[in-house]
Amino acid sequence: MTLDGTYEFPAPRAKVWAALLDPAVLGRTLPGCDKLEAIGPGEYRAIVKVGVAAVKGTFEGKVKLADLEPPTRYRMSLEGSGGPGFVRGEASLELADVPGGTRVSYRADVQVGGLIAGVGQRMLGGVARMMLEQFFTRIATEIGAAA
Amino acid sequence: MKPAPFEYVRPRSLAEALEVLRQHGDEAKCLAGGQSLVPLMNLRLSKPGVVVDLNALKDLAYVRAEDGSVSIGALTRQRVLETSPVIRQRAPLLAEVTPLIGHPPIRARGTFGGSLAHADPAAEYPAVVLALEGRMRAARAGSEREVPAEEFFVTYLTTALEPVEILTEVTVPVLPPHTGTAFVELTRRHGDFAIVGVAAVVTLDEAGAISRIRLALCGVGPTPLRARRAEAVLQGQRPSQALVAEAGRVAMDEADPADDLHGSAEYRREMTAVFARRTLGRALERLGVRL
Amino acid sequence: MATPQHSGWIGKRVKRLEDPRLLTGRGTFMDDVTLPNLHHAAILRSPHAHARIARVDASEALRLPGIRGVLLPDDVARMSRPFGVGTTVPVKYYPTAVGKVRFVGEPVAVVVAKSRYLAEDAAELIRVEYEPLPVVTDPERATEPGAPLLHEEIGSNVANHRLLQYGDIERAFREADRIVRTGRLVFPKYSSTPMEGYGVIASFDAASALLTVWSNFHGPFVMHPLVARSLKLPENKLRFICPTDNGGSFGLKTSIFPYLALIGLAAMKIGVPVKWIEDRQEHLLASSSGTDRVSYLEGAFTKEGVLLGVRMKIYDNVGGYIRSPEPACLYRPAGNYVGPYAFRHLEMDCHAVHTNKSLTGPNRGYGCQQLYFGLERLMDLGARELGIDPAELRRKNLIPTEAMPYTTPTGGIYDSGDYPQALEKALALANYPALREEQRRARAAGRLFGIGVVCCVDPSVSNMGYVTVGIDPEVRKRSDYQAKSGAAETAVVRVDPMGNVTAVISTVPHGQGHETTTAQIVATELGLDPEDVTVVADFDSFTHIWSVATGTYSSRFSSITASAFAMAARQVRDKLCAVVGHHLGVLPEDLVVAGGRIFVGGDPDRGVPLKQAAGMAHWNPLALPKGMEPGLQAMYTFHFPTAQPPDEQDRVDSSNTYGFIAEVVAVEVDPETGKVEIKAYVTVHDAGTIINPMIVEGQIYGGALHGIGGALYEELAYGEDGQFLARTFMDYLVPGATEAPRLVIDHVVSPSPFTTLGSKGLGESSAMTAPAALANAVADALGVHVDTLPLKPERVWRWVRQARGTR
Repeated sequence: MTLDGTYEFPAPRAKVWAALLDPAVLGRTLPGCDKLEAIGPGEYRAIVKVGVAAVKGTFEGKVKLADLEPPTRYRMSLEGSGGPGFVRGEASLELADVPGGTRVSYRADVQVGGLIAGVGQRMLGGVARMMLEQFFTRIATEIGAAA
Repeated sequence: MKPAPFEYVRPRSLAEALEVLRQHGDEAKCLAGGQSLVPLMNLRLSKPGVVVDLNALKDLAYVRAEDGSVSIGALTRQRVLETSPVIRQRAPLLAEVTPLIGHPPIRARGTFGGSLAHADPAAEYPAVVLALEGRMRAARAGSEREVPAEEFFVTYLTTALEPVEILTEVTVPVLPPHTGTAFVELTRRHGDFAIVGVAAVVTLDEAGAISRIRLALCGVGPTPLRARRAEAVLQGQRPSQALVAEAGRVAMDEADPADDLHGSAEYRREMTAVFARRTLGRALERLGVRL
Repeated sequence: MATPQHSGWIGKRVKRLEDPRLLTGRGTFMDDVTLPNLHHAAILRSPHAHARIARVDASEALRLPGIRGVLLPDDVARMSRPFGVGTTVPVKYYPTAVGKVRFVGEPVAVVVAKSRYLAEDAAELIRVEYEPLPVVTDPERATEPGAPLLHEEIGSNVANHRLLQYGDIERAFREADRIVRTGRLVFPKYSSTPMEGYGVIASFDAASALLTVWSNFHGPFVMHPLVARSLKLPENKLRFICPTDNGGSFGLKTSIFPYLALIGLAAMKIGVPVKWIEDRQEHLLASSSGTDRVSYLEGAFTKEGVLLGVRMKIYDNVGGYIRSPEPACLYRPAGNYVGPYAFRHLEMDCHAVHTNKSLTGPNRGYGCQQLYFGLERLMDLGARELGIDPAELRRKNLIPTEAMPYTTPTGGIYDSGDYPQALEKALALANYPALREEQRRARAAGRLFGIGVVCCVDPSVSNMGYVTVGIDPEVRKRSDYQAKSGAAETAVVRVDPMGNVTAVISTVPHGQGHETTTAQIVATELGLDPEDVTVVADFDSFTHIWSVATGTYSSRFSSITASAFAMAARQVRDKLCAVVGHHLGVLPEDLVVAGGRIFVGGDPDRGVPLKQAAGMAHWNPLALPKGMEPGLQAMYTFHFPTAQPPDEQDRVDSSNTYGFIAEVVAVEVDPETGKVEIKAYVTVHDAGTIINPMIVEGQIYGGALHGIGGALYEELAYGEDGQFLARTFMDYLVPGATEAPRLVIDHVVSPSPFTTLGSKGLGESSAMTAPAALANAVADALGVHVDTLPLKPERVWRWVRQARGTR
C-alpha cells in the first residue's frame, strides 16, 4: 500500500531534520519502540510493539537511512518481522520551509505480509496512517520539549 | 490456531473486576461474549496477559425503561435486544438492526456492550448508538463517568475507555413523537459486516418538515460517523426525492472509506449515497411519507 | 445366474444409515482417534510468497519446556525424495520448502510437543531468515519473458504444456460463417471448505520399520505408492488407516498426501506418535483448491448456429508446485471436452503454470467448471452475435439421442443420454417463455433481469490413464514408459455363520452416504432390508482389497462401486441358491430370494430362512455341493474395459460413464449496488438409474450451492504481491442457508449400458454448471460480456455503469 501525506512542525528545518535522524529521538518516538540500537552508519535495529487496542504484535526489524541530502531530503527503508507477519517498506521524506516552521512530506510504499495481510485487511491502511500520525506527533513533542 | 498463554480470572462482582483491571492495566482484556476477542486470541493477534471473564456479572445484563430513556446493561446478550418488548417500544432501531448481526448463535453469546467496546468500524451497534445519541457509562475502581456516544468512538477498534475501565451501561433517550427510524446496510451475505451501513432517525413537525435529523454511517471510516453536513441539508426541509438524493451525495463526501476485498473506497463512497437515500426513504415511509 | 425379480430398494428414498450416529455426535472422525504417548504438531509456515531461505534457527524453540523435537527443511531433504508427478519437467516438491519458499503458507518447519498450544508457542520462536524474491500470481503473465522464475531447474514457469488437436480445425474455421471470440476469460481460485479439515496421526515403529498413518484421506490410493516412494519406504511398510467418518472433502483430501509425508517424517525423526489437526486458517491457506484459469476461446459457427469447431487456449494456475494428480485439472474432462455438443473439430492449447499461490488438486467438478464456463460463455456469445435464442442454439447443437453410445472426437464414449429431452424438461419447468416475457416487462421498467441456460456433460469414474494425455506422445511410445489405464473397484460381501450380511467398502466415503446405498444394493439382491446389511466403511491398507484407483473421487461410487456390489451380492445370492437347491433337491434357477427367505418360486412354504442357508455353508461345509468352497463370501472387482490409455492421436475415454445436466437460471441485478439475486434455479439431471433419490437431491443442492459459491462469493484471493488475503471466513465467503435459492430439480433416466444397475455418478453435479449459468444470466441481464468471476457486487456494478455508458 502507498501512504503519503504531510505534517507541519512549528520549528526551523534544521531542528526538524536533526530530530528525525537522531536515533535517541527515534527510539523514543517510534510507536511502541522498545529498543533502537545502531548497527552501522545510518542503520539501526529495533524491537517495536505495535498495535491498536487488543490487536498487538512485536516486530523485530531494521531501519536504514540513505541518500541523505541535509537538511532537505532522505530515504528510509525498513523491514520488520514478528508473529503476526512482516512489514517492508521504502519511504522518501522531504523537508520544506513554510511560514511558521517546516513541512515534512512523506511518501511510503509499504508491503505487509503474513497473518496481518490476511485478516482485517480493511483496517490495515488506516492503522498504518494512525501509526505515522502518532510518530509525527511525538516528534513534534520532542522538538517542542527540546526548544 | 491456539492462543498464547494467559491467566484467567472470573470475578464475582464488578468491584472485583475493576480491581483486577486497576492492577493489570493494559495487560488485561475483558471477556464478555467472546465473539470478537476469542478469535483474535486464537489467531494470536491479541495476547492479553490476563483475561477477565465478566460473564458472572449477571447484574450487568438488563433492559430498563426509565423516564424518557432506556438503559441497557453492557452484558445484555444481543439476542435479548432482538426480542425485548421494551426495546421494540423505546428504541426500535436497536431491535431492527440486531438480526443483521451475524447469526443467532453469535447473538446468543455476543453482548451489546462488548460490540460497542470492540468498536469495529463496520459494526452496526456503534452507528446506531451514535444516531440515537446514547450515553455510555464507564466504571473504574472507585469512580465512574459518562461519555456521550459522539466522544466514545475514537479510531479503529479504539474507544474512550481506558485500560482500567469497563463499559457498564448504555442509556438511550426515547425519541420524540413523529420520529421514524431505519437501518439499511450493504453486505455480501446475510449477517456479514457492513460494506456500508446507514442509520437514520427522522422527526417531522406538524407542517411535515424535518425538525430533527440524525444520520450515522458505518463501514466508511475508522469509526462510525455522523454525517452532519448531510443532516444540515435535511434540517428544516420538507422531504422529497431530490432532497434525499442531495443528502446522499453530501453524505458520500463525508465518508472516508478504505479499500478491501469486498469493495474499493470508490465503491463504498458511491454506496454511501445510495444507502443514505434508501435509509432515509425507509425512515420516512414509516412516518407515512412516500417520496 | 438369477437376477432379482424386482427393483427392490433401488430408487427408494431410504433414510441414511449413517445419520443416527452423526446427528447424535457419535461419529468417529480423525480428531477422535488417539494413541498412547500421542504428541501434537504445529507447522511453521512461510509469510513470503517467494523467497530464498537463508537460515533456519530452531534453538530457542527447542529450549521451551514440553517441546519434543523439530523437523526442518534439511531433515526433509535428507530423509525424503520429491513427490512423483505426471509431468516431465524436473519439479522438486517436498513436504516442506527446501531452499526456497514458493507460496505464502508453505510449510517450513514442524514442531512436535505435548500439546498443540505448546507447539505453537515454540513455532513462534523459530527464526527464519528469508531473502524475498519477485512474485508472479497470474498464470498467463507467468509464461511471459521476464516473469519471475519459480523453479530454476525447469527454466520456465510452464509445468506442463500440450497442444491437443482433433479433427480438422483449420477447415472448420475456414468454412465458418462467423468466428465468435470470448476474449480473455478469468475463472477464480476457490475451494470447498468441508466442515472437517485435514487430520493426520503418524506413528513409526522403529523395530519393524513400519510407518502407520491415520488420516481422512480417501483415495485415489495411487497416493499410497506415491507417499511410500517419497518416504523411501517399501510399500508394505506404509500402512494407511482411515476412520469410519469423514467430515467432507469434495476432493480436497486427495491432496492431503504431502501432509501424510510431513507428519510421517516428523514421527520418524522424533520417535513419538504425532497428531496434526488442521485449523481453518491453514485450510484456507495451504490445503488445496481448484485452479484459477485464464482462457481464450474461439468458436466457428455457421450462420444457422451450428458449431463446427472450437479453439481453446488455457492457462491453469497450479500454484508453487505442480503436484499429483495435476495436470489433471486440464485433462480430467478430456473425453468430454466437447460437452454435449456435436462439433467434431477441436484444438486445446493447454498450459499448467507455476505461480506463487497455494497448491491445487481435485475440487468438486475438477476441471469441468472451468471448461464449461468457457464453452457456455462461447455459446451465449454466439447466440447473441447470430441473433439466435440461447436455448435454441443449444438445441441445434446437442448430440442426438439416436447417436448414443457416442464417441466424441477426443475419445470419450458417452454411454447413454437423452440430451434434447432433458433440455426441454428444464425449459418447461422454468417456463422459459414466461421468463422471457418477464424479462421484456422488466427491461421496459428499467430493471435488469436475465436468464442463463447451460448444458453440460457430467463425467464420472476416472480412467486412471487420462492424465497421461499430458505427456508427449513421443514419450508415451518409449519402451521404458509405464502406461496407465483402468478403473476398478473391489466389493466384498460376507454372510457370517449367524446369517448376518456385511459389506466391506474400500471407497472411504466423505459424506456421500455409501453405507446406505451399498446396503440398498446388497439388500435388493439378497431379498433383505437395508438395516439388515452392515457396511464397514473404515479402511486399512493392510486388510482391505485396494489398488491405485480405489477411493471416492470423480463421482465414481454410483457407477463403479455400485456395480461391484451388485455383482458381489449376486454371487452370494447364487451361492445361497446353490446351497438351498442342493438341500431341497431343486434347481437353483427355480428359487426366489425375498423377504429374508430362499424358497421355491410359487411354493413359498418350501424354503429356508436366509440365515439358515448361510449357517449351512459355515457349520456343515462338507454337506455342500461337491467342489463348493466352505463359507459364504464373494469378492468382485468391477472394471471398465473402455478405460484405455490415450491413443497416439491423444484420444482417451477419460471417464467411464457420462451424465448430463441442463439448467435454467433467472437473476435480477440491483443496478445501484451490483448485487445479484437468484430468482429461479431449475436443474435437470440424467445420471442413469437413481439408487437413492433423497441422497441425489442432497448432492444436487450441495453441488449447486457450491457452484453458486464459486460464481458469487468464494475466492481464495491473493494480492499482486502474492499475499493471501482471505485467511478467515470473514473474507472467504461461503454461502449459507440464507443465500441459498430454492432449486427446482427433476430427472431424466437414461440407464448406462456399461454399469450393472445402469447407474452413473452424480456427486459433482451442479458445481460444474452454476458458475456458467450465473455468468450467462448476468450477461443476459446487463447486455455485457461477463468474462470474470466471482460476480462480486462491485464488479457487476462497474459492468452496469459500462453498459449504461454505451447506451
